[in-house]
Amino acid sequence: MERASVVFNTIGYILITFLAVLCLLPFLLILTGSFTAESEIIRDGFKIIPNEWSLEAYKAIFRSPEQIVKAYQVTIGLTLTGVVLGLFLTSMAGYVLSRKDFKYRNAISFFIYFTMLFSGGLIPWYILMVKYLGLKDSFLALLLPPLLSAFNVILMKNFMKSIPDSITESAKIDGAGDFAIYWKLILPLSTPGLATIGLFLALGYWNDWFLANLYINTQDKYPLQFLLYRTLASAAVLNTSAAANLSPDFRPPSETLKMAAAIIVTGPIVFLYPFVQRYFVKGLTLGAVKG
Amino acid sequence: MNRKIKNLFSVVISALMVIVLLAACGGNAGNGGKADNQPKTGNTGSPQNEGNVDLSEKVELVWYLLGEPHKDTEAVVAEFNKMLAEELNTTVKLNFTSWADWETKYNLLLSAGERIDMIFASTWANYYKYAAQGAFLPLDDLLPVYAPETWKNVSEQDWKEAKVNGKIYAVPSTYPEYTPDGIVYREDWRKELGLPEIKDLDSIEAYLDGVKREKGVTPINGKAYNEIYTMFRAYYDFQHIGGDSGVVVATSYDTPRDIVAYPFTDEFEEWVKKMRTWAEKGYWNSDTLSSQSEAGDAIKVGTGAVYWRNAPGAGGFIMGQKTDNPDIELAYFPFSRFHNYVMPTLSVQNAMAIPKSAKYPERSLMVLDKLRNDPKYYDLMTYGFEGVHYDISEDGRTIVTPPASRADDPDYANYDIASWGWRVESMQRVKPAGGWPEFDNLLAEFRETSRPNIFAGVMMDYEPVRAEQAAVNAVMQQYGLPLMMGLISDVEKGLETYRKQLEAAGVHKLVDYVKEKANAHFDAIGVK
Repeated sequence: MERASVVFNTIGYILITFLAVLCLLPFLLILTGSFTAESEIIRDGFKIIPNEWSLEAYKAIFRSPEQIVKAYQVTIGLTLTGVVLGLFLTSMAGYVLSRKDFKYRNAISFFIYFTMLFSGGLIPWYILMVKYLGLKDSFLALLLPPLLSAFNVILMKNFMKSIPDSITESAKIDGAGDFAIYWKLILPLSTPGLATIGLFLALGYWNDWFLANLYINTQDKYPLQFLLYRTLASAAVLNTSAAANLSPDFRPPSETLKMAAAIIVTGPIVFLYPFVQRYFVKGLTLGAVKG
Repeated sequence: MNRKIKNLFSVVISALMVIVLLAACGGNAGNGGKADNQPKTGNTGSPQNEGNVDLSEKVELVWYLLGEPHKDTEAVVAEFNKMLAEELNTTVKLNFTSWADWETKYNLLLSAGERIDMIFASTWANYYKYAAQGAFLPLDDLLPVYAPETWKNVSEQDWKEAKVNGKIYAVPSTYPEYTPDGIVYREDWRKELGLPEIKDLDSIEAYLDGVKREKGVTPINGKAYNEIYTMFRAYYDFQHIGGDSGVVVATSYDTPRDIVAYPFTDEFEEWVKKMRTWAEKGYWNSDTLSSQSEAGDAIKVGTGAVYWRNAPGAGGFIMGQKTDNPDIELAYFPFSRFHNYVMPTLSVQNAMAIPKSAKYPERSLMVLDKLRNDPKYYDLMTYGFEGVHYDISEDGRTIVTPPASRADDPDYANYDIASWGWRVESMQRVKPAGGWPEFDNLLAEFRETSRPNIFAGVMMDYEPVRAEQAAVNAVMQQYGLPLMMGLISDVEKGLETYRKQLEAAGVHKLVDYVKEKANAHFDAIGVK
């Protein structure tokens, strides 16, 4: 190897390692924090390696494991259906809008853009969902709103625009219909775009608690994030004037409990990334058009 | 030909997709609609004669409470519904808002016109504001007919406090409470160090000083703003108007119409100078304003000594430590002793109201009447099942938790939901403040020195001065808090900047507005 590239590689590795450690440290702190004894955190604060290990926080969370399991089921189910359905709808919308022979694509694109800038606001949205669609306490209230976001459609449309027209054209000449072109050619060529939007959707569904907070009343239908967020929210109430009414039995969750909750929620989604990652790296329409 | 078939296929597929989606929504909407319509037809047909209420129609009510359900709430409500179905041909679907972002949710529930037959209401959940905006149903005509017992039992004064523009919009709980601010402190350390008993500001200072010097412990170890700020207000008898009114206060109970912004008073100057010396001596940490830890947590592990609580909250904290850390001895000093009087909370501190969107206000009131006055219902909904959640103690009056059968059950949790809205003092079976023995004495003291609450009832809607209020609050956060905590080395200069910034933010306009509202209220209730 050349001297210059050795120097380059060394510096590169050192820099990347340093950045990686910086990124990992907070996560490690959460992890060990969740295993630390509560009294130690109050006394000395968080440490990377605690003196006193403890499983108390996890014991507290898993005191009623059925509930956690149920919440996991809800969240995983929602995420899977949401991502599959969402990708299908988003890519279809994006594809149609990207086709140059679709006459009103600009008008419709503008229509979609418009909702990104101006929206009815929370209360009209709530009224629509509850009074007209009857979605109170329904899984659909969790599934539908994030399904087709204007931002994702625009992103998809622009991505598909970069696929050369000649591919569509060539397929047409070979006798393929519009859906076949979309399904057999455009979709496979759009994997990087699909992966990006799929990740957005998955994160969106996984992390959502707000929809559940607004629309869900039955405890069995709570997604994971909301289930855990509730305990933290109760702690915040302790510091307001409402506190006077809470019974003395009411205790705020401990610091370690917060950390354990974070681990339980983020754990699975962290593992999702490496699987999706390879699609990002793949080239776009590499070598698809010859001559 | 082939292409045509494929084309057709794609059209059919997409059409199917759309249909499936629409059907999913539509099906649900249909269900919702049916549930809504069914009872409606019955309602219009039922005659409502006074004293002779028609119960022939089966009704499901939708109720909302603030907070979280208990694990067993479902079973308890099922039992409750069984009894209700027999006696009133009614069932209740009990929903909870949960504490997550509850203010937004509460607002949505009331403004979206969703069908709700009864909801928890409170001064701290903006009862007066929502009532004035017409979110609740006026109950004056309904109460004597559908909730006769409650109508009779609740005192005139309590009804008066529930009135907005001359009409009653909620059924207040019958549970007079005193919630003066104060501090919980390590009594064992005070005795050990031979410090004077805490009874005024000087003895508090002596205590803080002793703990800091002899024990080497930061007395208020964590967020200290509440401790210092409530002490400040109580010490000079500055009174907030209509809830938390920020920097705008009445200068004392006896001069309610003398309303000022406290940063401009000489008292404030004197106080922040004192606080500067306290901060320099290290009675709290220099990061106290950004700290996220509760001073109470530090007491638990022996690294703190003082914690702000209101009186019932102090009881809960002290009793909690008695079981967790029995070797720590704690005591409580209510700031009300600075001026030797307390004001009870308003009756609508906790109440049940009926939103405008209710379909069966009459039934809701009938259920509430039962709930408030029949021990069978009251005990079930407030304390859960006997034998599962509690035992009746020997005196036959109070209850014991946990029940003997579950004494060693790690899964046991006190049955506890947001039952404050229907609380009635004579029906209560648990002692207030977690059974803290000292509380009885305190309560006697409070009752003796109680003065009517003339400030809390002022209806403050800051809408017309929202810009000024936001600006003033921002200035208070930026300049006022550090000054209050003695974190600014040059007090004089800091105070000057603070006052200047407040003026620029429009504090005078805010004071004038509060004055106007307060004076109107004082005129109405006959306070000079």
